[in-house]
Amino acid sequence: MTTVNPVAKLAAALLLAICLVLTIDWVSATVALALEFVVFAFIRMKARVFWLRTLPVWIAAPLTGVTIALYGQTDGAIYFEFALARVSDGSITLAIATVLRVLAIGLPAVVLFVSIDPTDLADGLAQRAKLPARFVLGALAGMRLVPLFMEDWRSLELARRARGVADTGRIRRIAGQAFALFVLSIRRGSALATAMEARGFGAPAQRTWARESPWGSREWLVMAAGLSIGLVAIAAAVLSGRWNFIVGP
Amino acid sequence: MTTTLTTPPATTTPSRFRWRVVDIVVASVIGVASGLVFVAWNVASNPVTDPLAALLPGLQALGGGFWLFAGVLTAIVVRKPGAALYGEMVAATVSALIGNQWGPLTLVSGAVQGLGAELVFAIFLYTNWRVGVAILAGVGAGLGMAVTDLTLWYPGSDTPFVMVYTISAMVGGALIAGLLSWLAMRGLARTGALHRFAAGREIAKRV
Repeated sequence: MTTVNPVAKLAAALLLAICLVLTIDWVSATVALALEFVVFAFIRMKARVFWLRTLPVWIAAPLTGVTIALYGQTDGAIYFEFALARVSDGSITLAIATVLRVLAIGLPAVVLFVSIDPTDLADGLAQRAKLPARFVLGALAGMRLVPLFMEDWRSLELARRARGVADTGRIRRIAGQAFALFVLSIRRGSALATAMEARGFGAPAQRTWARESPWGSREWLVMAAGLSIGLVAIAAAVLSGRWNFIVGP
Repeated sequence: MTTTLTTPPATTTPSRFRWRVVDIVVASVIGVASGLVFVAWNVASNPVTDPLAALLPGLQALGGGFWLFAGVLTAIVVRKPGAALYGEMVAATVSALIGNQWGPLTLVSGAVQGLGAELVFAIFLYTNWRVGVAILAGVGAGLGMAVTDLTLWYPGSDTPFVMVYTISAMVGGALIAGLLSWLAMRGLARTGALHRFAAGREIAKRV
């Protein structure tokens, strides 16, 4: 799984997601989820890693569902009503479909993205997706500063603690620290830009690549898998008569 | 003996619209740092804005501004065409790679929100970077967020919800993505961190 080109993983996740957002019904989402779990079983991800990384999705899905259950389109019997909130047969059906859909889109994305290395992704985006290299590599340079940002954040925290200003006003402190982090990161970025320019980055010459970004049948296969799960889900929804296009009534 | 250069050294004055290396790197850095703020907000937004949603459904979009500021902030710092779109996309990519509930559609949202802000700066032909335009750009980003959120995540919502959500998104965009970004830009310029940008020199002149 780690050897598949990240661009293919991104494309596969995107193809699947685009298929699934076209309709809001429980059939397509359930079919997609079932197929995804078959794939998850095959790639043998560690259970601990899987649950830990997908935890935000498991938390967010029911919360979205509650919103839709309360404020979704009213249809059939009404069970509960307060101000604008109205829980009905229709909104509950929509809510179930929404929860399943968030899971069906979010889970494979997390699984596919967990193993993406930003450097490989940048190589793929520039060499395979043919995005402008200066921008892709600039973004990669920024991304590689993240560990430094984390360190800066801890230093800022310690500095505030040492000055005795860290104990009250948590929100204010976080805002102030975030601003300081932006100042530090822009200073670092300006210095980094000078260093990169000194080494010829952005020069109008033909760029060559230190790392080849591989692309073969495996990449096409991953993309085909993503697309076909999406298409099977759509087909199931249409055949069962549950297809419910997102635009329009 | 004299040697002649085969090609004369390039003496063209750089276009105001061409991205220098420092523009690209600093835009990237702002995008990445904003992406980290997005990640924090991805987790914090639900408990913080749910009471708003309980008050009036759709009001939670007010807090969406914390997902919209990356584009506006990047644009008003580096002041190049495409900066809003680029900054928002980099931030969205960081958010998606770290992992969130929206998966690859984070990138779709980032693109539409970035475009919303970008269009406003483009309408002013990339010459006006004052607070009013920044606020308008925030509104544009908010409109982009409302469009993507309502079609992708809240399809089948009632009309009142759609109205409240859209207006909240635009107000949140104006205040957080527009005004707050502009204030942040001014603050950054005051620290001297933007000395290589027009944004920083503007402030320096007044001192």
